[in-house]
Amino acid sequence: MSIILDSKIPSGPLAQKWSSHKSNIKVVNPANKRKYDVIVVGTGLAGASASASLAELGYNVKTFCVQDSPRRAHSIAAQGGINAAKNYMNDGDSVYRLFYDTIKGGDYRSREANVHRLAECSAGIIDQCVAQGVPFAREYSGELANRSFGGTQVSRTFYARGQTGQQLLIGAYQAMMRQVELGRVKLHARTEMLDLVLVNGKARGIITRDLTTGEITRHAAHTVILATGGYGRIFYLSTNAWNSNCTAIWQAHKRGAAFSNPCFTQIHPTCIPVSGDHQSKLTLMSESLRNDGRVWTPKRKEDIKKDPSTIKEEDRDYYLERKYPSFGNLVPRDIASRAAKEACDAGLGVGTGRAVYLDFRDAIKRDGEKTVADKYGNLFDMYSKIVDENPYQSPMKIYPAVHYTMGGLWVDYNLMSNIPGLHVLGEANFSDHGANRLGASALMQGLCDGYFVIPYTIGDYLASQSFEKVDTNHPEFKASEEFVNAKIGALLKNNSKATKTTTEYFRELGLTIWDHVGMSRNETGLKQAITKIQNLRNEFWENLKIGSTSSEVNKNLELASKVADFLELGELMARDALMRKESCGGHFREESQSPDGEALRDDANYSFVSAWEFKGVDKEPVLHKEPLIYENIKIATRSYK
Amino acid sequence: MSTHEQSMTLNLKVWKQKGPKDSGHFEMVTAKNIIKEMSFLEMLDVVNEDLIKLGKEPIEFDSDCREGICGTCGIVINGQAHGPWKATTTCQLHMRAFNDGDTVILEPWRAKAFPVLKDLVVDRSSFDRIIASGGYTSAKTGPHPDGNAMLIPKPIADRAFDAAACIGCGACVAACPNASASLFTGAKITHLMMTPQGQAERERRVVSMVDRMDQEGFGSCTNIGECRAACPKDISLDSIAIMKREYMNAFLKSDIEQREVREDA
Amino acid sequence: MGASGLALLGFLITHLAGNLLLFIPGGALFNEYAQKLESLGMLLYVAEFGLAFLFVFHSVIAIRLKLDNLSARGSKYAGLKSKGGPSRWNIASVNMAISGLVMGAFLIWHIKSMKFGPSIAQGYVTEVKGTLDRDLYRLVFETFKDPIQVWLYVGVMIFLGLHLRHGFWSAFQSLGLIRPRFSKLISAVGVFIAVLMAAGFLGIPLYIHFILPGVKTL
Repeated sequence: MSIILDSKIPSGPLAQKWSSHKSNIKVVNPANKRKYDVIVVGTGLAGASASASLAELGYNVKTFCVQDSPRRAHSIAAQGGINAAKNYMNDGDSVYRLFYDTIKGGDYRSREANVHRLAECSAGIIDQCVAQGVPFAREYSGELANRSFGGTQVSRTFYARGQTGQQLLIGAYQAMMRQVELGRVKLHARTEMLDLVLVNGKARGIITRDLTTGEITRHAAHTVILATGGYGRIFYLSTNAWNSNCTAIWQAHKRGAAFSNPCFTQIHPTCIPVSGDHQSKLTLMSESLRNDGRVWTPKRKEDIKKDPSTIKEEDRDYYLERKYPSFGNLVPRDIASRAAKEACDAGLGVGTGRAVYLDFRDAIKRDGEKTVADKYGNLFDMYSKIVDENPYQSPMKIYPAVHYTMGGLWVDYNLMSNIPGLHVLGEANFSDHGANRLGASALMQGLCDGYFVIPYTIGDYLASQSFEKVDTNHPEFKASEEFVNAKIGALLKNNSKATKTTTEYFRELGLTIWDHVGMSRNETGLKQAITKIQNLRNEFWENLKIGSTSSEVNKNLELASKVADFLELGELMARDALMRKESCGGHFREESQSPDGEALRDDANYSFVSAWEFKGVDKEPVLHKEPLIYENIKIATRSYK
Repeated sequence: MSTHEQSMTLNLKVWKQKGPKDSGHFEMVTAKNIIKEMSFLEMLDVVNEDLIKLGKEPIEFDSDCREGICGTCGIVINGQAHGPWKATTTCQLHMRAFNDGDTVILEPWRAKAFPVLKDLVVDRSSFDRIIASGGYTSAKTGPHPDGNAMLIPKPIADRAFDAAACIGCGACVAACPNASASLFTGAKITHLMMTPQGQAERERRVVSMVDRMDQEGFGSCTNIGECRAACPKDISLDSIAIMKREYMNAFLKSDIEQREVREDA
Repeated sequence: MGASGLALLGFLITHLAGNLLLFIPGGALFNEYAQKLESLGMLLYVAEFGLAFLFVFHSVIAIRLKLDNLSARGSKYAGLKSKGGPSRWNIASVNMAISGLVMGAFLIWHIKSMKFGPSIAQGYVTEVKGTLDRDLYRLVFETFKDPIQVWLYVGVMIFLGLHLRHGFWSAFQSLGLIRPRFSKLISAVGVFIAVLMAAGFLGIPLYIHFILPGVKTL
């Protein structure tokens, strides 16, 4: 099957596309909705909001998550906030400005129509969440409070202390649990999707493994929604959760779904630095901290080991404020991360040498410790628990870490992949953030997709199809189940001669990706990475020490199954990065930079979305391109100076 | 600057249980090459790597975000839920809390309503069912009044948030001598009764959630307050008092509700 | 639980108030008070029945609660330990069932030996306001001549103190009567009442046994 990329962007002026599309698409009559089965995989912001909304409309929803409770999906860890073009602050915000900021922040590598829809829906998301009782931060007047985030010059970020993701997710989770109680959502927690089932080219079901009993089960439906998040955990060390993985989207890719922009990963500038080899996970310190914290390194190498409080003002280099005076500490994430790497590469890193200071001294002097604690208390507590230092007294040490993946499965305007019936929401798709995501936009996208887009577009798909009757006895289900059993069987094979553990493979893969497909990429490194990953993959299947061979609760087996897929995806990331010879957003090719070291885009040759077609594990994938056409925005060099 | 001190060796007395029906027992496991910078779960990662290399069964435990917000992890460490630190989840507990040569006892959350699935992994779906019974506002997806249409004074919003900060980890149940889920349930009731949006279903919510909590097999609150001490998010005991008061009010008002039902019929 | 507990506390307060008359040597006033209570007739029976009902209600619920709570744990911990700080885990709060059982057992014996103890027929007779009546004061006085009984009463009253120490605050919390602002205050009042009740009740036997013999009758 060959891939046809039809983005299905509605015609008409940009600002009317979504409303006219909503009016023109087909709808399923209320009495017929219950005849349609919808599978939702993942219960983060996108998955939970979609499950709740679709069940409320009357569809039969089956929802799956790998966590022990849907409330634990990794959206919960988002700290800073959610953007919305409400213009409550009267500072000139508008739907257009949010749209423009997002396109520019993404370095002109996202689709205009999708981003505009996101900006249009943003205000409604806040109202939706308020109606659910989400305790957003408020002013003394009782009105909703806003703060600023990177890459924008207005305050449009709504927040709930440093736990915005948690509060929004709990809101969506509660709405979904209400539907579970009503019997309209059938919930399967601790269940992992291991394959997508296609019948006559349409997505008609999935194969799952019960992580408690090990049971492999077939589930049939009329359409499948993947909301399984990003694949940033491929770096081994990232801010992603332990269970975050690529298996669902990767398996869908192997069944024919195009994978877009896999090399677009976001390295978040403010994370707690790595402290040693034992480290299993990196912890993010919200971008909101850059509202009041100032980033600096010592100017002289001899000062890097000194107590920071003894370093005089004139000996400090507030390098973001120096290089980007108009945005200062609030430049977008890709730029802040790269600047930190440059400073450390120049030998000015503090602590272990891979860290810079994020200093609240001036904010505390200006506003008092109490105000600072009110805004960031929980983040400061988290920092001192991990690092054993008091950020009220000495500056935080931070360093960039992998945080988010802009790449994902290709989807059209209706959020459907090139496989009919396979919808992809949230971080799992590629659609809205281009080559770099702005802070506080992930929550906005996840909820927009789940609450306000899919409930409309899924109806259009279901109403326009004639469905043949398919149950789980169909040969395609049997074949998929056999595939899954074979994978589990191969992983559980008791290989007594094997010497290398899952974690060792995972670390090696992560390090390879970090070194060569990380903050800075070049042709030689990427080619090396491809060979390394291929070799590692071959070794993995021959020399894996699995530990427990239990087919029931077996966390190491779960991890091994994820690593097996990461070992395939890693190669595609390197290939995509190798293909894209320009620098844009989070993708920095050393060969393409301006004389002052800024990323240099090549719009003439690379103004497209890459969409890779899978051809086999050890075969070269085929590149398809969806050209990016800007009708409403004048493409410019992205500058935050 | 953190300097890696000498590594420690700890003696772990770990609960091993094959499945929900197995009776379970303690096993001694040595944790070698542990440094103070490690989190408690990273210490277990090191132990499990060693066990796997020796061809032995690793210790099964739950974890996900490893930054104290998802509520997945939870081990009773030396008789204390989430270990010795206050307002801390197991993943945020660091090994500087322990000394070389210490014996550390690791047990799962123990409660009839949290059956052990394996070793330190428990099933907390009873919490989800409590939420499903009423822990929400029935706001439909769709257009709603503007977010600022209803003002919420900052102190009220802050108190709602304090209660809503619950991560559903279950430490309150694990630490409670009665295995009661009152702090968890009270936190959700408090969060929603504080907000204007939660008013419409206020009485129905508290009755149904409290009843569900009892049906799930949790114990009853005798106000020992250990839940509060074990809670990684510092949820206040006031939320239990609020839950009780709300229940009482709902009970007193129930004849009004019944009358409404009769009028409908 | 909380409501019945508070009601029982109400009884204890009146009981103690009446019994403070035992501190007045000679016992005339105390016997007068006892006679007044007896003369309430029907009203007394109603009150006694009410008290008995409260007591049984409180006990039955408590026992059921305890059994439920024991089974809610499932398997046993190697040893659960308090984390301190804001916890109210203390000898009083975790032993409410034990202190309750001790008091229950005591109460049966106390009623048997006092209310249904030796009366007019056994020669415990005194003159109250010109009529002959039961000399309850003599019974109390003789009971507390026995050091074993004195120490038994003292012991039980310590349990009562512990029970009230947790029970008072707990009742307010369970009835949802606590507002955050008053939580600390109610807790302090609970401690005060616990000490007062325990001291008052155990003061009587100690006074009669140790101090009264040295006091000259008026």
